[in-house]
Amino acid sequence: MSALTPDQIKTLEQSRQRLVQLTHSLASLITSLNQSDPLPSWTSLQSQATIISNNLLTISDHLSDNRDLLATLVAYPSPSYPSRNPANTVALEQLLRTKLDPRVEDWVARGRKAGGSLAAASPPFVPGNLGGAGNGYGGSAVAAAAAAAGAAGNDNGLDDLGALAELWDWAPVEANQEARRRNWGGNFTLEEREQGVGNVVTGLRRVLEDDDDDDSESEEGESGEEEGEGEPDEMEIVGVRRKSGVGQGLEFDIAPVSATAASAPHAPGQQKGVAPVVPLDEILRFMTVGMMPSQR
Amino acid sequence: MHELLLFASVPAHQHHELLQQLAGLTAMQPRHRLERRLVFKAYRKPGLVTTRVGASQDVQGADLQRLNKMLNGGMYYTQVVGPVTKADFGATSLSGMSASHDADVSMSGTDQSSYCYENQSWKLEFRDIPEAGTRSAVTTRLMASASLPKGDIAVPMNAWGYSFVTEYMVEGDVFVQNDIVIFLHRVLLYPQAESQDLHGPRRQLPAHHELTPLERTGSYVLQAAITVQDGSNQEMMKTASQHLFGLREQLKSAVRLEQADRLSLDTRAK
Repeated sequence: MSALTPDQIKTLEQSRQRLVQLTHSLASLITSLNQSDPLPSWTSLQSQATIISNNLLTISDHLSDNRDLLATLVAYPSPSYPSRNPANTVALEQLLRTKLDPRVEDWVARGRKAGGSLAAASPPFVPGNLGGAGNGYGGSAVAAAAAAAGAAGNDNGLDDLGALAELWDWAPVEANQEARRRNWGGNFTLEEREQGVGNVVTGLRRVLEDDDDDDSESEEGESGEEEGEGEPDEMEIVGVRRKSGVGQGLEFDIAPVSATAASAPHAPGQQKGVAPVVPLDEILRFMTVGMMPSQR
Repeated sequence: MHELLLFASVPAHQHHELLQQLAGLTAMQPRHRLERRLVFKAYRKPGLVTTRVGASQDVQGADLQRLNKMLNGGMYYTQVVGPVTKADFGATSLSGMSASHDADVSMSGTDQSSYCYENQSWKLEFRDIPEAGTRSAVTTRLMASASLPKGDIAVPMNAWGYSFVTEYMVEGDVFVQNDIVIFLHRVLLYPQAESQDLHGPRRQLPAHHELTPLERTGSYVLQAAITVQDGSNQEMMKTASQHLFGLREQLKSAVRLEQADRLSLDTRAK
């Protein structure tokens, strides 16, 4: 029953202060989420999250630095402790608990579970990852969870090492062979052409069209059919044309006045789509006062 | 009268498709329209009293002030528009221009040239600068039109204090949907040759194929307009802009109709 040294008291005091900071920042995040109506902007949310994570980092550093002291400390009430006061009694009971608070137990369990799923989700063929994840979290509880999960995951990891080496042996050769089988160049593979380029193109088109056009389902369908009927050589031309269409979309985004490159590319045989070079307001200005667009 | 407008730029390759779409939307065939447009600019007649601007103590007569305001206040560009037909182009050549082609036009000439400048009908179109600071996203401007005497218009316009600036041709198609007039058009320029010293409207039109589009790629301008007789009627103006927004929604997948840049429609003569 040795008394604490001033240094040890200082350490305890520091832990308390940092935990108070963490509670404050958590509470302020919760209130801002609960009370502000529209929700706070994501920048403010992000900065609060940064603060909280910094707090967590400092606390976990602090706890691990003083691990020896904190692990050996035992709390007991001294005779002078004013236990008659009900508020003090609550604090006393908290201090003298030998088990964790049920809520806290839940948290810890959740943390362990999250750590376990994290370890499971991380690619098993990079064994270093498990340790890395644990280090990244740093928090003692989470670190413990990660370590436990790591122990569980190691069983697979050892097996995987063999499989991994096998994979590495097999993959380069196989990839090279696959690559040699193909005639590179052009927009489509032979297989895709044989199976009908239409299918492949439609998938690609959807993605492209979603970028600069909202809903042109009917046009899409029509042009898709046209493409499907055409020869493979023509297909390539269509592909190129579509690329120019994408370029247009970008151009249109830059020039806000001009219309979107709205509709699907034209039926084969029509001229390639060209974006207007004179902006709309220049045309209107000419129509209004006869000032040529170049004379600015 | 007020005019509510939305504009969109239509790339040349989309023009045909948009024509079809508009024909379907409005359930009407496009009305092809060819217009000569002459741009006139108001100028100060020399010899007018120029008032001293600034803090002078001498008091001007109220009449003089009002007169100056009238003379110098509103100086605007204005347009004179004359409808023409395809048969009017290249009319100097006699070959193959039968009068029956332009029988639907009042100016069908009986002399050897089928386009007769003396018979060209004109309309004066005044457009104010679009109203500033309107909260709705449509271009709103004061407008007025009036018929003008036929024939050489430069002389009377000059007498009213307007000088000829330039002229161009507008080619396009008109659709009407309820109260909205949709005009898909583009500007054509006359060939530049020997036009340097031209100080008035052309008396003859070049062949149609000699006209070059102002926009080199041949893109079109889509203009959707509603004319409101009483611009002070807020309710009516609101309804009109609602209709325009409705059209904008309908055409959303094809073109993006937008408010025009106000200063690009600035008709004030500085």
